[in-house]
Amino acid sequence: MLVETAGFLVVRLGASYLALPANGVRGVLTQEEAGDEKAVTASGTIYQFVDLAQRLALVADLSGIEMRTVLYSTGHSHGAIRVEQVVGLTDVERKDCLPLPPQFQSDERNWFGGMMFYQDRLVLLVNPSWALGELVEVIPAPVGQMERMVEETSAAVGGSC
Amino acid sequence: MLRAAHGKQQAHTTKRSWSVVVFSVGGLKLAARTEDVGGVSPWMESIPVPSQTPFVHAMLKRGNHVMPVYDLASRLSCQVQGDRLLCLEARHLDGPMAICIDADVPTLEAVEPTAIRPNGRMDVETLGMVTIGGEDVAIVALQRLGRLRQDAVRS
Repeated sequence: MLVETAGFLVVRLGASYLALPANGVRGVLTQEEAGDEKAVTASGTIYQFVDLAQRLALVADLSGIEMRTVLYSTGHSHGAIRVEQVVGLTDVERKDCLPLPPQFQSDERNWFGGMMFYQDRLVLLVNPSWALGELVEVIPAPVGQMERMVEETSAAVGGSC
Repeated sequence: MLRAAHGKQQAHTTKRSWSVVVFSVGGLKLAARTEDVGGVSPWMESIPVPSQTPFVHAMLKRGNHVMPVYDLASRLSCQVQGDRLLCLEARHLDGPMAICIDADVPTLEAVEPTAIRPNGRMDVETLGMVTIGGEDVAIVALQRLGRLRQDAVRS
């Protein structure tokens, strides 16, 4: 029986564990490799820095030795995302990707395509299109409509659950 | 984890009575219909979740299950009291939801429907107000907690 799985890169920002669909990851750089410029150029592609911690209003210490820059591409957009720590890479069966509970009713439904467990931790699945600024902040749609939109977005980047 | 109040709730309970759980948040006594309560257990550290939904900014993990946390104390502009805080599981229409309540162990009470008055509190969804032990206690509508606030935010 064919089991549908999706790969995710699990990262940490502050106290939050987040996951990015692995098929969009183009590289993981140390502070030294990423440099201090406003963008990273790799294989001819320019990756502008994306302040994901600020976008999610998370308090993160990006000065530690485990800080990494994740080069990410959705195919349409490219971004360099600084994270406090790269925790690991994992394959997740679709059944193990859980929707965000419906009590979360606002913009966060744009931000996260769902959630999963990794090493017994709750991990939020970041919607890469939103993270890279492809989705304009809009008044949140009703829950069902938003989930359909996130599914379509996920399908478009070929990754998330 | 519930305590019978004065040991009299069973004697006074009739088919018509409402059975309510009386709990407190920031020292403020509140009640909820027992059928709206999934259980009471020790509070565990919640997991913060970035969110713009008012008062829903965390989740509680129990084994492989998670439920959103509703910050009722913030909603009521107070802080939970006590060393060993408790978790009241609300049977919300959208699914179970955890609420951190004071360390005081909740009690069970029977309430006559005729004793329930309209509630003047506009800061939280309620089913009405009742006097318990000489105190006015709002019966929180756990099933639709947050709906009033959401409506207000949307309008």
